[in-house]
Parts: sequence; C-alpha cells; structure tokens
Amino acid sequence: MATSAHQRRVIQVFRYDPTRGGDGHYDRFEMDVAHPNSTTMLDILIRIQREQDPSVAFRYACRVNMCGSCGMVINGREGLACKTNVCDLPPDRDITLRPLNHFPVVKDLVVDMTPFFKKYEDAMPFFSPRTIEPEPAVIPPDARERQDIGLATECIQCGCCVSSCSMVNYHDGYAGPAALNRAFTLLADSREGRNAERLRAVLQSCYNCRTEFNCTEVCPKELSPTRAIKYIQRLALKHLGELSRPAGMTNATEEPAPPVAVVPFEPVLQHAGCVAGACSVAAAGGLPDDPSRRQFFRRVIMGIGAASALGVGGLLATAAVGPTLTKTPGRWIPISPMDDLAPAQVSTVTMRYEVTSGFHKETVVKPVMICRRADVNNMVVFNTTCTHLGCTVRWDAGKNIYVCACHGGQFDHEGRVIAGPPPRPLDTYRFKVENGCLMVEVV
Amino acid sequence: MAHEVNLHYRPALQWGELDPNRRQSTPVGMWAWIWQRISAIAIVFLLGLHITLTYKPLVQFLLLTVVIFHAVLGLRVILLDFNLVNVKYQKALIAGLAVLGVVMVAIIWTGIY
Ligand code: SF4
Ligand code: SF4
Ligand code: FES
Ligand code: FES
Repeated sequence: MATSAHQRRVIQVFRYDPTRGGDGHYDRFEMDVAHPNSTTMLDILIRIQREQDPSVAFRYACRVNMCGSCGMVINGREGLACKTNVCDLPPDRDITLRPLNHFPVVKDLVVDMTPFFKKYEDAMPFFSPRTIEPEPAVIPPDARERQDIGLATECIQCGCCVSSCSMVNYHDGYAGPAALNRAFTLLADSREGRNAERLRAVLQSCYNCRTEFNCTEVCPKELSPTRAIKYIQRLALKHLGELSRPAGMTNATEEPAPPVAVVPFEPVLQHAGCVAGACSVAAAGGLPDDPSRRQFFRRVIMGIGAASALGVGGLLATAAVGPTLTKTPGRWIPISPMDDLAPAQVSTVTMRYEVTSGFHKETVVKPVMICRRADVNNMVVFNTTCTHLGCTVRWDAGKNIYVCACHGGQFDHEGRVIAGPPPRPLDTYRFKVENGCLMVEVV
Repeated sequence: MAHEVNLHYRPALQWGELDPNRRQSTPVGMWAWIWQRISAIAIVFLLGLHITLTYKPLVQFLLLTVVIFHAVLGLRVILLDFNLVNVKYQKALIAGLAVLGVVMVAIIWTGIY
C-alpha cells in the first residue's frame, strides 16, 4: 500500500458530449489529495465537479459499494468508483476514468445499462417457487446447494463483469457474466420451479465464455461468474438427455415442472439464429455495435483461418498425394563390379541411393542379394524386403535358403516360399551389366 | 419548454478502446486465453514449416514448445471446466502448469536428442 501522505494526482476523465457526438476524449484534471488512503474515485469526481468542472457527468447513489451505480473503468480495470481508493493506483501514473465497455455512452462516465438489464431479464432472474408453502423452506447452512451458491446472490448489478468480458463484444447474443451468475443462483436452488426453462434459456450463452476470468478479477463483490458459468455447463452435461429432447423436459433437479411453468420458450433458438451480425439485439434495445469494426475482425479471423487451412491442406496434399502422381522413372543404381561377385554363390551387397518424396529427401541404404549361378550369365538379384511384413531377408548358406527372422519365412534358392507366412516369392530387381559393373533398377 | 435537442449516445466502447491503461491492467487469465489462441496459429504455421523443412532441430524445438504450451493451457481449462481444480486456483494453475510444460519440453527434448 502506498503511503497515506499527501499526493498530487493527475486524473484523466473520459468526456463525451451527447449534443456533439464524436468519439469522446480525455480531460485532464489535477488535484491535491490529502488522504490517498481514504479518498475514493467517487470523492475525486465529486471534487472535480464542485471545484473544477461542474459539467462532468457520472452516476452514484449509495457511496458504500451497495447500489452498483458507480461502475467504471479505472486505470484500465473495471471497479466501483466508491470502492477504489487513490492509494490503490500507482502514484507515478495518471489516473484514467472511463465509462464501462459494451454499453452505449450517454454522457461522460454515464452509460446506458439497458442491454445489461435486457439480458438479465432473458436469463429469468426471478424466483418462482416449485410449490407454494405456508412456511419458509429450511435450507441448512451446510447444505450442498447453500454452499454451492455461496455469496453469488450478492451481485449488485454494477455491470463491471460485463464490461470486462471481451466475449460480450464478440457474441451478440451472449447473456454475459452477471446474468449467468444470477441464473446459476437459481439453478442451484432446490426450491426453484422453472429451472428446465432457465437452463435452456442460458445454456447457449454459457458456451460463449472462454474462461478468461476477467469478470472474476473485476467483480467488486468478489464473486466469480466464471465459476457460475462452469456450474451451469456441468449441470447441462448432467441433463444432456433431457436437453436434447425438444420440449416438456423435466426440471433440472429431477422433478416434473409444475404446469404453470409451461411458457413459450425460444431464447436459445433466437441466439442460434444470430448469425454474423444479422442479430436483432441492437434493434431490440440491446447492444449497439460498430459493424465495420466487427466485420473487419470477422474478416481478419476468417482470413487467417482460411489461409491456415489452405496452407496446411496444401502442404499435406503435396506431401501425401504428390509422390503417387508423378510416376518416377526407374533409375539405375550401380551395385558392384562383376568381378567382386563370386560365381555359384549368393553375395549380399549394400546399395545406396537418394529418393525424393514430397518434401522429403532421404538416402535409402539397403542390401540386395545377388545370386550367381555356375553359369556366369545366369543371375538373379533379389530384393531383401520380406514379402510378408517387410523385414530383411538374409541368405543362409548352410541350409541353402533365404530366411526371414521375423516370423520364420523361408524361401528356396529361386525365391519361392517354402515355409512361414510370406504370401509370395521374393521380389527381384531388373538388372544390367555395364562396363563390368552390375546395375539394378529401382523405382 | 420542450425545445428539440438531438442527443446521440456514443456507440459502446469496446474492450481496450481509448484506454491507455488497459493493457497493463489485463489480468493473467485473459493473457492465458490470448496466448493460447496465438499459440494455436503458431502451431499451424510451425506444422507447415515442419513438413517443408524436415529434421530442422530449431523448427522441431519450437513446434514442441508451442504444442506443449498450448496443451498445458488447454489442460487448465479442462481442469476448471470439470471442477477438478477449484476456480479460485486459476492463477496458481497457470504457473504450475507452465512449470510442468517446461519440464515436459526438457524431458521430451533431451529424450530425443
Ligand atoms: S470468464 Fe467467461 S464470462 Fe467471465 S470474463 Fe471470461 S469469458 Fe467473460
Ligand atoms: S457479478 Fe459482480 S461485477 Fe458482475 S454485476 Fe454482479 S457485482 Fe457487478
Ligand atoms: S455509489 Fe453505490 S456502489 Fe458506488
Ligand atoms: S516379415 Fe518376414 S516372415 Fe513376417
């Protein structure tokens, strides 16, 4: 914590004049803060309004973190003006005060919260009891549901979380963290009667969350909408069967919903129909947005996607299909001078050559077996690759057979199978003799 | 009284728009998300390189690192999604899994080379 000593601070306040329009700008104010430890941003704003510029607009009511009206972006992070003290902000930097994101700006720091409450409403934030009891329900403090819900009911609808969540920007239909947190408190409540409907209403939204935890970080009530969203996702997983059934699904807590609960119900479908900017939330008083910016991002992202897909696809295709398309002509590889190959004997010689396959270049090193008969011109060059599963076959001079060690394949001196699993005789190479040197043809 | 005034709401500010302090105030969870996306694109790119330039240790090393980095962040989300780790440990999870990632890169790399 910084000291409580007197500080001189520069405060940059976002200004937007609704009669003039435009983009908005920052106004610079400077003031002495005598007690940084106990001076809030709200105090600062009130002082600016009284002492320097009476036209600065901002919203507040309770001044004690209870009403949620003073949410704004303070030094790049959402918070309540009445909860953020001067000493919480680094003394070497200007303080910036800016309206919440994702809400239309009415004037200066005042935003239009209509989209927030519209989405809140869509998430069915009200309690509608499963049964009407004369006595209050008893939920013991250590009950599982009580523990699960915890303090999540303490939300003051300040909108900080919605402002911090960049997904609200990218998904028109996204209910946002506050509404989902509210839905969670009811979904986890065993007294609640319309949870089937509620789960359907909010589930689509839950998949817009990218687990960024921004909402959790900024919530002035230290709630975790992220946790709430995860809870709803798991709940949906548990009730997958019922959810995939079109209607008349049983309650999330396993009892049939009372008949009063049958209300036409569409939001999920509505959101699903919300394709690329064609959504009508803006028209319905929801999120206005800047279509050109959005479109730009969408194009960039689609561009990157398409380029990556093309790139990888192209490379893979060339690597996989390329070699089979180009019929490589046979190449003649010199093996050994004829003089080195004893007649009436099988000699094994290692041959080496390079192959190019797709982008690969590799050197093949492979033995071949040259079987020379007593008659000098009668000769066979065997491929050492076993015709069963490709192990290397070798010549067993004692038994006069070719053997494969892997599964006991045996071939006679002509290469015919005499034992084991190989399905066909040994392969042979085409060969020729040039200037006294034996050459074989490889493909 | 009612004289006509034309009032226009400013379209909603977007995340980080006109906000000089946003970047330094971005929480680590958000960075984790951003970097996982960036690493995804990097994987696609390096995969291409890996196929084109076979057996280049630098490319292989980068690919290994980026894949493990990406996997480790994915693992974090899985752990959180299924409540295998309480969400309140999300930051510790990033640090812990990053260490795990470095160890894995080291083991796999020394194992190969
Ligand atoms: S955790 Fe989900 S709801 Fe919260 S800020 Fe991130 S994406 Fe938005
Ligand atoms: S969840 Fe927290 S940040 Fe979001 S509206 Fe409620 S109190 Fe504000
Ligand atoms: S003024 Fe009520 S929460 Fe700040
Ligand atoms: S590979 Fe030679 S017998 Fe199976």
